[in-house]
Amino acid sequence: MTSSKKITLIGTFGVGKSSLFRRFIENQFSEDYQSTLGVQIKKKTVTLDSGESMSLIIWDTEGKEDVSMNRSSYLLGSHCIIYVFDLSRVDTFTSINEHLAFLKENYPNILLKVVGNKSDAVSIKSVQKKLSALDITPDFFTSALSGEQVNDLFTLITKELL
Amino acid sequence: MERDQRLQKLKELLFNEENDHLEDLNKEVSRLSAILDNTDVLTEKVAPIVDDKVQSFTKNELPPIVVSSLQQQINNSQEAVIEALYPIIGKMIKKYIANEISLLRERINTQMKASFSFKNFFKSKFGRSPNVDELIVNSQPVKLLQILIIEKQSGILKAEYSVPSADQSVDQEMIAGMLTAIKSFVEDAFQGKDQNLEAIRYELYTLHIQNFYNYYIAAVISGNYNSQIRDTLENKILEFAQNGISKEDLNTSDLFSNRLKLFFENDIF
Repeated sequence: MTSSKKITLIGTFGVGKSSLFRRFIENQFSEDYQSTLGVQIKKKTVTLDSGESMSLIIWDTEGKEDVSMNRSSYLLGSHCIIYVFDLSRVDTFTSINEHLAFLKENYPNILLKVVGNKSDAVSIKSVQKKLSALDITPDFFTSALSGEQVNDLFTLITKELL
Repeated sequence: MERDQRLQKLKELLFNEENDHLEDLNKEVSRLSAILDNTDVLTEKVAPIVDDKVQSFTKNELPPIVVSSLQQQINNSQEAVIEALYPIIGKMIKKYIANEISLLRERINTQMKASFSFKNFFKSKFGRSPNVDELIVNSQPVKLLQILIIEKQSGILKAEYSVPSADQSVDQEMIAGMLTAIKSFVEDAFQGKDQNLEAIRYELYTLHIQNFYNYYIAAVISGNYNSQIRDTLENKILEFAQNGISKEDLNTSDLFSNRLKLFFENDIF
């Protein structure tokens, strides 16, 4: 059995958490579960160039304005938390530093990745200026539409968790 | 003087008989007065007559009057009558059904005890006869279809065993994750911080959940899941957990799954 890790996706409503990984996911339950339970479980097996592989069990949580409103039982036991925000909507990243501080304090020792999504909809240069002004340094700029950097994100997480 | 004597003689001759009769009448009046004055004696005399009269009245004259009156009353207030009788009839029916079920149960047990077979012979020999619960269980045999060992907080599947006929269309790791999410959701929703979800039932299937400190074991079973089956399964899982699960096991999934298979592949019920 390939080793498995729990990855939890969090972020505000409509930032593209679900669409970001949809095309790469091998198996998923009906999306109706997300509106009922507040989470949808997806699985992605990543095989590295070295031949090592890992099953990523991805918990795609429903959007919350405030990260502290996420159900703690969904975040506990995570091996990695991916914080997703929308590069085209400033309101989704103005409070990032507070949210990250909350996550680091309440879920220590969990790998944390910050992802700016919808890179296809903005000029990265102009957004980076705003992000710098707010002292925000995302780990990845992804596009669910073009698939840009999504594989890289998964690969890096897998390498770091192995 | 002679004349007076003769007159007296004549009186005696003429009224002697009347005097005797009068004396008898006085005696009878005295006797009747004594009866009338003494209530006990009077009751003794009158009671049989009154009883006969009342009996005759209740037998012949009263019933038509009462029936007619009741019919009229019932017709005039049907709802009130139903209202009054409903709980009484309900209790009677309930009592009747309970009694009939009890009789049925006894009859089946008696039948089974009496039935001749080696199985029953040996069972009765060792003081154990099949009962109704067993008959019901036998009609819907319980079968373990799948058993999953899942890490509590992460929902990561640590070991799994499925019988060959079990449906494998959905990825087991995703089932483990979704089950953990459902479990967390239910436990949070009912604010049962120190309580755990122990079973999920869906038609003929039951998901039995047994919680441990770092992990939980979920067993999918088909058939009639009752307290007897639950106890058997709980004991079997506890036996496996006591002898079969260490920290190393949780990190070596393949070997752990093999041991799970060896332990649960034979019929446990």
